[in-house]
Amino acid sequence: MIYIPSARVRGVLSVLIPALLIPATVLAGALLLGERAYIPVSLAVALLSLLLFVAGFEQKAIGTRRTVLVSVIIALCIAGRLIPVFKPVTALVVLGAVYLGAQAGFYIGALSALLSNFLFGQGPWTPFQMLAWGLIGLFAGLLAKPLQKSKVALLLYGVLAGIAYSAVMDVWSVLWASGGLSPSAYLAAIVAALPHTVLYALSNLLFLLLCAKPIGDKLCRIKIKYGI
Amino acid sequence: MRALDQYNPITIAVYYLAVAGIAMLCMHPVLLFLSLCGALALCLMRRDLRTRTHANFAAFFALSVLINPLFSHNGATVLLVINNAPITAEALFFGATSGLAVLAVLYWFASFSAIMKSDKLLYLFGKLSPRLSMILSMALRYVSLFAEQAKRIKQAQIALGLYKEDNIIDRVRGGLRIFSVLISWALENGIVTAGSMAARGYGAGRRSHFSIFWFSWRDALVLCLTLLLGAGTLIPYALGTVTFTFYPTLHLHSAGALSYLCYLSYGALVALPILIETEDTVKWKYLRSKI
Repeated sequence: MIYIPSARVRGVLSVLIPALLIPATVLAGALLLGERAYIPVSLAVALLSLLLFVAGFEQKAIGTRRTVLVSVIIALCIAGRLIPVFKPVTALVVLGAVYLGAQAGFYIGALSALLSNFLFGQGPWTPFQMLAWGLIGLFAGLLAKPLQKSKVALLLYGVLAGIAYSAVMDVWSVLWASGGLSPSAYLAAIVAALPHTVLYALSNLLFLLLCAKPIGDKLCRIKIKYGI
Repeated sequence: MRALDQYNPITIAVYYLAVAGIAMLCMHPVLLFLSLCGALALCLMRRDLRTRTHANFAAFFALSVLINPLFSHNGATVLLVINNAPITAEALFFGATSGLAVLAVLYWFASFSAIMKSDKLLYLFGKLSPRLSMILSMALRYVSLFAEQAKRIKQAQIALGLYKEDNIIDRVRGGLRIFSVLISWALENGIVTAGSMAARGYGAGRRSHFSIFWFSWRDALVLCLTLLLGAGTLIPYALGTVTFTFYPTLHLHSAGALSYLCYLSYGALVALPILIETEDTVKWKYLRSKI
């Protein structure tokens, strides 16, 4: 999608993509193609939903200061993925989203996945990682008020995000390895990935427990000081 | 004379999308075997991968072959029975074919990430959305900037005597303090950058960006070839002239000229980057021999 100057066309596009294109891709894939169709179809859907957010992002100007802060947090996430075993990425995405808003949260998650995969290996899983982290950021931004108020809610969200991330990536690995989504294979994948799921949830808990107050305070201070 | 990574990013992206997309879409042993051969040859030729990565990919393939017969018990030829569940040759072959697909796509992606460096990525995203490309390029720059700044903060902390390396608790606390200082600095620095950008008129008009990529007749040629050969593969496949049934028995069904068109087109598509690279190497060797 090349930059569209007309605001009206952009508005129409951002409605058309979710309302028509995504269901049409799924249907076309299911009806026209054979048993192997799930993989390209799910990839196409993931890419389309990412495009949708790009369209929305161009539409609403989120301001230069916020844009720069988004790239600062993305850079911190990429650096964070270099820490062995315990990864602070999800915690940083959640904190960034809570203080900078839902849309910024989606961008922090999706683009951290995209850029850090240049260090950790790009693959067909990249759009799914982008979508999974992006959605964690988006929902954190939407739930910003309760998450800012109560620390318990924030920690709970971190744990749930870890589990949800693992579940989404399991769907992908099952699709990928067997070319179809059978419940028994999905169950086997979830059981096989259990140690990773626990590790994700645990590191989210740990980093949110340690960083929520100091990083939250810093982001809050910046927001008040510069009126973002 | 241009090596593959000197082509326009749009050409490269379309090529890889077509070749890997077909490998993902078509569950057909012949096409997938062609795909794997091409991807592997390209990776070996450009020396993009380390031996360990090859070993990882092979392990992935083995896993994929072994998993399918455990979950799928279709097929007529029973090889052995484990816990009252038959392991069939057809299910094993289906597993091997989907493993082939996984392997081929992994190699295509490995080659793609070796060629698509960040400057090409920014060029592509710049076409997609200027603001997105802006965020990406700033984030990429910040990673190295933050690493440099973290080093400076650490030196300052050591000079102040706040930091000892000989005990673990002190080290972890020192690391956290550095991280905390770094975040404060990064946020403030970001705001200063934003102010400077706003003062120079960022966001006032449409953003243009610099890139060194141009679109030559060679790009047009490769792009057209990619689209033609892709269509030559996909149209016969969609018409059902090239099918492979796994259950109940293995059966390769390919009828008439259209099926040959499908195999030939995909074979040519897969061989395209290898030809480009070979031409480049041969010319380079020739020019050097004249010195």
